[in-house]
Amino acid sequence: MAFYTLGLTFNLVILLTVIVLAVWIYGIYFNFKKWGLGSTGYHDQLRNSFWLFLATWIHEAFKDGVWVFLRTVVLDIFLLRRTLARSPVRWIMHITMFYGFLTLATLSGLGLMIDIVEHFNLLGLAEPAEIAKEALSLPFDIFGYLLLIGATIAVSRRILLKSVRDNTSAYDAFLIGAVFLITITGFYAEWLRGNAFLVGNAFEYPLYAPHFALIHTVLALGLFALVLPWTKYIHVIATPMTLLANRGGE
Amino acid sequence: MADDKGSKPLMTGYMISTQMLEIDGCSRCQECMKWCPTFDVRQDRPGITPMYKNAKWRELIARSHSLRAKIFGPKPLNEDEMKTFTEDVYSCTTCGVCGTVCESGIKTVELWEAMRPNLVDRGNGPYGKQSFFPKLVKTDKNPYQAKQEDRLCWLPKDAKVLESGKIAYFAGCTAAYRQQALAVATVRVLNALGVDFCMLGKDEWCCASAMVRTGQRPVMEECAVHNVDALKDRGVETVLFACAGCQRNSTIDWPLWYEGYIPYESMPLSAFLRDKIRAGEVEFTRPINYKVTYHDPCHNGRHLMHLKGKDWAFEAPREVLQSIPGIKFQDMVRNRALQRCCGAGGGVKAGIPDLALDCAKARVRDGEEIGAEIIASTCPFCRRNIMDGRNDAKSTVKMLDVVELMAAAMGLDTTIPENPYTKYQEQDVIVCGPAVCEVGTIERKEPGKDLVGEAH
Repeated sequence: MAFYTLGLTFNLVILLTVIVLAVWIYGIYFNFKKWGLGSTGYHDQLRNSFWLFLATWIHEAFKDGVWVFLRTVVLDIFLLRRTLARSPVRWIMHITMFYGFLTLATLSGLGLMIDIVEHFNLLGLAEPAEIAKEALSLPFDIFGYLLLIGATIAVSRRILLKSVRDNTSAYDAFLIGAVFLITITGFYAEWLRGNAFLVGNAFEYPLYAPHFALIHTVLALGLFALVLPWTKYIHVIATPMTLLANRGGE
Repeated sequence: MADDKGSKPLMTGYMISTQMLEIDGCSRCQECMKWCPTFDVRQDRPGITPMYKNAKWRELIARSHSLRAKIFGPKPLNEDEMKTFTEDVYSCTTCGVCGTVCESGIKTVELWEAMRPNLVDRGNGPYGKQSFFPKLVKTDKNPYQAKQEDRLCWLPKDAKVLESGKIAYFAGCTAAYRQQALAVATVRVLNALGVDFCMLGKDEWCCASAMVRTGQRPVMEECAVHNVDALKDRGVETVLFACAGCQRNSTIDWPLWYEGYIPYESMPLSAFLRDKIRAGEVEFTRPINYKVTYHDPCHNGRHLMHLKGKDWAFEAPREVLQSIPGIKFQDMVRNRALQRCCGAGGGVKAGIPDLALDCAKARVRDGEEIGAEIIASTCPFCRRNIMDGRNDAKSTVKMLDVVELMAAAMGLDTTIPENPYTKYQEQDVIVCGPAVCEVGTIERKEPGKDLVGEAH
């Protein structure tokens, strides 16, 4: 069973998640509409349309054919080719954060589904659901560490390299600080529960584990889902879309 | 502090939707800041770098189009802030190195060129003397207030140029009026190789590059359509360009303005000559005993490499230089796609000349670092600006076009016939005796009537 604290119930968490998702989806729609303020071509008039942005993006992304689109997906999005060409250290940072973040987000979604199955005992699968959830803890740990490596490099770069530090804005600090904080609170919540990957029972304190889990969840949902569409976080979506629209920039 | 009430919002009119997306696609990795040639000489102005320009544009657009603006109404733009932002946007030479290194794959040149017309429409742009470009080109069809009927005044009497033909040489305004050594050398080389080619003469209008680069698009259409039609009327299949600015415009910009089929191919002269050398059709008779390096012009290098390939963009001119006997060739540290811009592009030479000069000096230092005696290029604007930087830095490095070196090595007579624009000529030239070639400089006898610098 999932465990909740501070008066939160399963139903409340589901409701909060739905609200967060709704805000996130509206945020993405809002951004697409904002991007739609541009035209569809060099001389074309403005339409200010969500759909015309999508149409323009699809037109640009597939301009050189499906093969080029797929090549861009693999080389520029999955392998971050352009970053590797410029800086191997930044490539390690980005790729660990990219895969760490993406996989943890997917696993969290999957975990929520399993929670729902378990809670309502859908199709009588409560017990297998609990087992499945347990099986998720190892990938959670592995990708959590991956994200932690990336976030640590990112924070260290901003602190240690003068040229990078000098051009770090509040936005940058907020973004990287938030990623780092979310990763750390996630780990701490896990460690407090005991029997954790790599650290065992060194930090075990089950009484406060739900509180930290809650802090972690609120931060993750709040920052990534609520804040993402409205701030510079949007680059998480806009950068891959730009790479695809420009066919990798090549 | 300017009054912000009733201030016009910043429009998005010239930006394609995917360019609006690009603004948000910047991951602020700061890579562009390492390579930006203008930031390199203006370290106290981070606002001129792509990362900061993107962030500022995003912020300015948000005043009218953010969630906050939707709920509480748009915020007026501060005019002092807009003035600074305009200066930042116009401090860019549109060299495109930021796009080459951008991790997000943002097509930066197109992005800056889409931002600028919006600033022009709002009344903030263009910058400095750039505003003369459209008036001059509309009136005279060139930016030098020169007569159209003088387009071929530099042509040697014994040169053979056809009225029409499959191959055309598009000289461009600067070679026709200010750097005639380049035009004469080009014609001489083509004649010596037995290439039948035509020129447009007074039908050749400015390529209008300066207008597009500085966000003043309307005159562009007239020039593009006229030039394309003139080339089509002569039955041209290949147009040779010895000017990187014209080459870029013909390849990228004219087709955007011309409704209809364009039957010819735009080709850098260096690529055409390289093919002739490979085919064994070129006979060099004199050695050029100098250490030479090559400066890649942005306009036919980075701007063209995705369209025409890196071979045409970077390798062809190098191959020409390396084929010339006697030349000791060495690349500068920054070369090809990562080359340092000379500083003249994007209207900077006309708009912010001291910035252009500082960039040019940096490029001259690049040449000096490797001990080059001659910096060769294929762009009259790079040549003009690097010569200015060289003069200001009191360097001994000479600046020549690849085709001039080739003409000298072929033993061709590149004397410029006396013409109404002889007094405005100021350029390094290579003069060959029976056995050796020497580089010198033609001094300008009178200041040109140029309202704007010889640069795009």
